[in-house]
This record gives sequence, structure tokens and C-alpha cells, in this order.
Amino acid sequence: MYSTSRRALTRFAAQICQRRGLHAGATGATVNDAEISHFSRLSSEWWDEGGEFSFLHRMNPVRVRFIQEKLAEIARDEAPDGGETIEPGSVLQGLDVLDVGCGGGLLSESLARLGARTVGIDASGANIAIASLHASADPSFRLQSSTLPPTAQQSAPGRNSLTYLHTTTDALLDSTSEAPTLSIPRQFDVVTALEVIEHVDNPTHFLDTCCSLVKPGGHLFLSTMARTPLAYALTILFAEHISGKVSKGTHTYSKYINPEELIDFFKNYPSAESNPAQKWISPEATSYLPRHQAELKGLIYNPLQGGWFLAPRNSMAGAQCNYIFWIRKPKVSDTI
Amino acid sequence: MVTIIHFPMLSRSALCARRCRSFHPAIRELSKRKASTTTTDSHENVDVVIVGGGPAGLALASALGSSPAIKDNLTVALIEAGDLTKIQEWSASPGDFSNRVSSLTNASQDFLKRTGAWNSVDQRRTCGVEEMQVWDGVSDARIEFNSTDLGAESSFNGMSRMTENLNLQRGLLRHLADMPQVQLLQKTKVQSITRDSDDKQSWPLVHLDNGRVLRSRLLVGADGFNSPVRSFAGISSYGWSYDTQAIVATLEHHPRGAFEGPNTTAYQRFLPTGPIAFLPFSSTASSLVWSTRPHIAKALLSCEPAALSTMINAAFRLPAFSLKYLYDRILEAHAAGTPITPAQLQEEIQFREKAHSIDPLSTHSSLIRHSGPVGIASPDAHLVPPLVTGLQPGTAASFPLRFNHADVYIGEGKGSRTVLVGDAAHTVHPLAGQGLNMGLSDVECLTRCIEKAILHGGDVGSYTALLPYAQERYLANHILMAAVDKLHKLYTTELEPVVWARSVGLEVLNELDSVKAAIMMQAGANAQQHGSPGWNAAASVIQNASAAVETVSAVVPALSRTIIGGIGNLLAQVNQTKRQV
Repeated sequence: MYSTSRRALTRFAAQICQRRGLHAGATGATVNDAEISHFSRLSSEWWDEGGEFSFLHRMNPVRVRFIQEKLAEIARDEAPDGGETIEPGSVLQGLDVLDVGCGGGLLSESLARLGARTVGIDASGANIAIASLHASADPSFRLQSSTLPPTAQQSAPGRNSLTYLHTTTDALLDSTSEAPTLSIPRQFDVVTALEVIEHVDNPTHFLDTCCSLVKPGGHLFLSTMARTPLAYALTILFAEHISGKVSKGTHTYSKYINPEELIDFFKNYPSAESNPAQKWISPEATSYLPRHQAELKGLIYNPLQGGWFLAPRNSMAGAQCNYIFWIRKPKVSDTI
Repeated sequence: MVTIIHFPMLSRSALCARRCRSFHPAIRELSKRKASTTTTDSHENVDVVIVGGGPAGLALASALGSSPAIKDNLTVALIEAGDLTKIQEWSASPGDFSNRVSSLTNASQDFLKRTGAWNSVDQRRTCGVEEMQVWDGVSDARIEFNSTDLGAESSFNGMSRMTENLNLQRGLLRHLADMPQVQLLQKTKVQSITRDSDDKQSWPLVHLDNGRVLRSRLLVGADGFNSPVRSFAGISSYGWSYDTQAIVATLEHHPRGAFEGPNTTAYQRFLPTGPIAFLPFSSTASSLVWSTRPHIAKALLSCEPAALSTMINAAFRLPAFSLKYLYDRILEAHAAGTPITPAQLQEEIQFREKAHSIDPLSTHSSLIRHSGPVGIASPDAHLVPPLVTGLQPGTAASFPLRFNHADVYIGEGKGSRTVLVGDAAHTVHPLAGQGLNMGLSDVECLTRCIEKAILHGGDVGSYTALLPYAQERYLANHILMAAVDKLHKLYTTELEPVVWARSVGLEVLNELDSVKAAIMMQAGANAQQHGSPGWNAAASVIQNASAAVETVSAVVPALSRTIIGGIGNLLAQVNQTKRQV
């Protein structure tokens, strides 16, 4: 009984959001009101592992693993002793991580459990509410939330730091904003925006804000879908219209971004204002991605196992549909 | 009533705390949940709560407690209603063996070795099985298994290792004694299991009879056939009772003669009433598992122990129809209230043997001799177990046999954050000695899943984290259970065409080394090889044999062509399996 009433209330909240047109779209340049109300409407479904977001639940361990392994690889490269002791399992320990578009907090919770001081932000208040509600049930989190009432503060906070904020990347960067009550860093070791960029209005500006939130030498992870017939067939035609597993209107084909477009963006993206000649990806690298600068892998769903796996970019159909992208912000020292 | 609810700018989040009460229903729920949890009681958060201190539950606790990835991240508690201290302090003199025993496969042993628990199991009380003799009580068709079929390394370990359940449990408890991070709550009953909210993603609250309440991230049901955790999770199961009781006892016998091999052969004879198995423990002691009809079991257990041991000898040796005659005599005497005496039974057997021209001094005579084997053993001495001279006092007992398989292993919805292992998930006929091995494979797999979830920051109670466990174990267990069930049904019939089909079937099996190797792979598999291709092949052979039998049974009156068709089918399938292997 309770869950139906909650769903009704969630819908109510979403309606309010719509009616008042209050969402961050009003202030942020990137967020899309329609998208926000769509996800607000679905917010109660985030943690139903067999429902709307089941594909995302299954994808989560695979993308976490990609993040861990990439961070471990770079950490080993840079360790003076060869980094033999660096393990992917502990590489996130103590890092500041920002999860942009955290939704119900699927990724944020995993990152926090792995020891990252995680901040999850979302433009939908309903999502942040659901994420906070879900995390509050788990005693392993030291949870702070912009929507957490004082009565809900945990009596014995856990060891994994997790913060949820109902805000946008634009707002986080706004230096004129007052000092936040929940102290979070200005820049992060790792910024993730997984399955987010296809839902924003101005992807270039969105990437720009994400990049600014990364510390020099830090990491940015993105995942989205390629604008290909295959992606249309799988993510819209099949997922939304034929199988009905995913609600109609979740995806917008025209907002999908091809891997080449993302790579080109970073080949032209200067590492710092002081050094406009240096780009995040060396423009000379025409046929490959320099291993220490960026990597792109296809994320492929295996319906037989009901699980996802990573495929090399150039393999057959590798990055033709879902893909995950890693890029590193050049270090300050590199720019001199 | 609903005030402005939106704070796009971080700077405004300060307002939120004040206004969120009217902000979002989830938050209202949040306040409610927190308020209610503080008022109800002070529950303790435990990451993994295992209900049940049997071998599977203890093995899981010890595996979780010895995994470096898990012990630093999760708290573990095990709840057992019984007295575990008694088991931990259990001791028996070297020659005496407990009546509940298991044949641990090499895969199970490897798993226990990797967790470090195997070192705490008293090795001197275990016995490696190096050979198996399996034969049909009606047709006498026979298969022999030898551990040399497994290859050099495995044959050194034998095919499996007979271990008393108490010895294993004691070893696991000793191993757990070195792990203070695993809480053992013994002599504690689970009073009820509830949920901490009406939410879909609620956490189970385990109420103990000492007033403690454990809120568990993952609740593991290792609580046996009548699993309370399974009922809480709302998981139904399907199954049936076999019309069969298993009689267990520890047997005493003379050592094997100087010219015979050591007592390391397991024997199993498929009688129409069910299989009887002789499982070696030491040179003079072995274990019995005799599945038979409940009324026969009852009559046998009410006889003097000497009469029972005489019947055990006969059950391994006399032709099936003479055994039937003996059962009738025993049942008559039982019904008359004057249980048959050992002397009467000996006399009956002597008479039957004379009728079958069995020499009283031959291997195949069931009559008790007062000395052990002397001189050169007859060449067929290895075909039957040593003559049983007596039962260890207090070891004869019986329990009903059933088949039961849970519909799923992971709870969902209102039963979320629950998982079943061991007998709570599946109960199987003991004829293949796979029950505990299946449970240990479950535990091994679940531990692996939990480790993997932790490595990637997963919530170990979540469906996503547990799914690989169900995917790996459900089908493997199902195949094995179906094969064992079919095997039981195949051999508990005396229908002549079926017996004929069956004898051809078994002899075909015996000739086909590759099929035998497939069956042996299960025995020899090490834990690194997940899944059980060997059993799949073996199971398909058994399934086809039973399909043939079903065909035969269906058309007995007009039969011959159909039987031939059935057998042809069997042979074709066997060949196919051979190619696959």
C-alpha cells in the first residue's frame, strides 16, 4: 500500500516541478526541463532491479570496473616503484569524485563503497530525494544530502562518504554562489557523467562545465550512445517500443553522440587558458587514441547472460551503440 | 500547503533542510523510517546474517571470514538454534564413526582447503574412496569406477573422501574459532523475520529469542529443508517425498585379507526397493546408507542389531527375489510382534543360498563366518563388500528421503536481500552422495559472487550482485538432481523389459570409457572448473536411459519393437555423448 502511495506522491512532486517550471533549466544552460520531468516521474523505479532500470543495474558493475582499471593503470604508470601494489579494488580510496546526473545513485553508491569521497548531483530533485532515501537505509554510508531533514541524520554514520546535492554543474561552477552548507571541493579527482550527455540540451557546454570541475591530472568518464542505426534499433525501437522494458521517451535519437564527435571535441579542447596550444588529446593522433590520454570502449549487452561486457572500440559493432569514454585532464606541469 | 520546493543553486540548499519536510514524499518517508527505527528498538546492523549452523552454513561463515576482501568490508553473523559447543567438543575414539557421513568430492575438498578449513578437519577420520562398484540388483549388470580413471594427480586423492558430517562441522567450527569477526550466535532461535519498512527495497530484520534484532544487508538461508528464510522470502519450492526411508548405521567388519586391496572401495547395489550403499571408513569400519520402503525400514530397525547386520550382508549378495522373500518373513514376524531373531534369519538365508547353489564359503554367501578372510582371496572377492559382523551401538537410525527444489534462490520484492544455499534450496536423494557437495558448491559460488560485488563497489544484498550465483548454481543443481531422481526411478522397478533395457544400459556404460570418464569428472573436478560438463553428459545418458524405460513401460503389452527402439535411442544418445565428451 505504501509503495503505491509513494508512487502517487512522486508523480505529484514531478507534476509540481513541471507546473512551476522551476527546474534548473531556468538557470543552467544545459539541463532540459522535459528530460528532468521524465526522470522525476520514473524516480521511484530507480532501485527496482527488475524494472525500468534493470539494464542500468546490470551495466553498473561493468562501468565501475572500467573506472577502477583505468585509474589503476594510470596510477601504476606514474608510481615511482612500478606500482605493483596498486590494486583496482582500492584505487578509488580517498579520491574526490563527482557523479554528475547521479539519478537514483546507482553509480554514486558503488563509488562511495569503494572509498571515494563521492558527491552525486542531479538536476531532478525527485532523483536526489530517492537517492538520499535509498542511501539512508545503508548504514555503511556517511550520508549528507541537500534534501535530508535533520531528523534523518544518521546516528552512527558509516565510513563511506556520500553527499547528494540537487544542483547542476553550472551552479557548482558559479563562483558567485554563497558558501555551500555542505562543504564540497571546487574540483575533483574524478568526474563521471555516465548515460547523461544524451539527456542535456547543450552537450558542448555541458562537457565544458564537466571539464572545469576536473582537477588538473584528474579523470573524466563519460558514457552514452552512438548516433547509429544500430543504436536506434536497440535503444529506442527495441528497448522502448518492442520490449517495452524502457519507458517511451527515455531516449532521444538526435541527442546521441558519436564517438568521433567526442574525440574531436577533446582534440580541440585546450588544457588551460594559459596554454591554448595543448589539447586534451594530441591532435596528431589521427588513427588511435594515446593510451595515457583517452580510451573508448563499446558496452555491449549480452541478452543470453543478461549482462554487459566491454568491447574494444574497433571491434565489430564495438562502439556502435553504447560506449564508455575516459579522458584525462592534462596536468599543470605538462602545460609549462 | 506545498511551498516552493526547488533549489537549483547550491547556495540555496541551506534552505532545504528547513523546507524539505514539504519537499518530497521520499523525504517524508525518510523521516518516518528514521523515527520508527529509533522508537522500535536498537537493532544491530549486520551485513551478512546466516541462519543455520549445519555444514553449509558453517562453511559459508568460514569462507566469508577467511576471504581478505570480505572480512575487511562485511560483518558476518551465524545463528544456530542447537548447541555448537557440543559439536566443537565432539570426540569419538578412533575406531568409532558417526552415522551421518558425506562423500566429499575433490572440488569440495579443494574449496575447503582454499578457505583453510580443511586443516581443521581430522584427516585420520576420513577415508579416500579409490574405487566404486555399482551394480543392478536384478540383472547384476555392473559398472566399476576407479580413481586411476581420473589421471595421476587426482587418483592420489581418490575419487572422493568419506567424511563424517560431525568431523566436518567440528573442523569448520575450529576454523571459525580463529575468526573473532564472525559472530556465532548458538543456542539462539530466530523468532521471526520482518522487514524494516513496507518499501520494495526493505531490509530484513531478524528477531532472535534473546531479544536482539539483526538488520541484515543479506540474509542467507542455510536452514535446511523447512527453511524459515525461504518462507520469509516467499519462495515456493516443488518436490515430493519418495516412498523411501534411508537406514544409516556404522558397520563393523573384518579387515580385508592379506591378498585383497585395502578397504577403500564404495559399493552400491540398486535393489528394487532402493539402493544400498557401503561406504568405507577404516579397515574395520564402514558406513551404511540403505534406502528402502518405510515399512521395511521400520521392521528392520525393530530387529536385533545382529539380524539387521545379517540382512545387510544378504542385501549385497542374495538375488532380489530371495530378498523379497526375506522381507516378507521379517514383516510377518514384525506384524506378529515377535521380531525375527538372527538365528531364524541365518537359517532362512542358508536355505535360500542352497536353493541358489551359493557355496557357504564363497564370496557370495551372506552367512557370518567367525574369522576374517584367510589365505588367498577368491578372484571375485572385490565384487562385494566385506561381511558385516556387527553394528556400532546406537548408530542405526533412519530418515525419510525427499526431492525438493526451491523455485528460485534469490528473494525478490518483499523478500529481497535473501538468498538460499544448501538444503534450504535443494534436497536430493542420497544415492549419488551429492547433497552436501551441492551445498558446498553453492557456498563456494556465493562467496565468489560476494567477493566480486565488493571488488566493484556493489551492494552484496542486491539482486544484481546475487544474480550470477543463481545463474551458475540453479541449472547445475537442477541437472544433477534430475539425474539422481531419474536414476532412483530407473532402478526401483522389476518390470522385466525395463530390467533388460537397464542391464544393457549399464553394460553399455561400462564399456564406454569416455562416458565413464564424464561421470568421473564430477568426482575429480577441481574447484577451478566451474559448472560440471561431466555431469551434464552423464545426466543426459541417464535421462535417455530413463526415457527408454518410460517408453518401455508405456507399451509393455505390445512391446518388442518399442523396446528395441528405446534401446536404439539410448545407444544413439550414448554415442552422441561420447562424441561430445
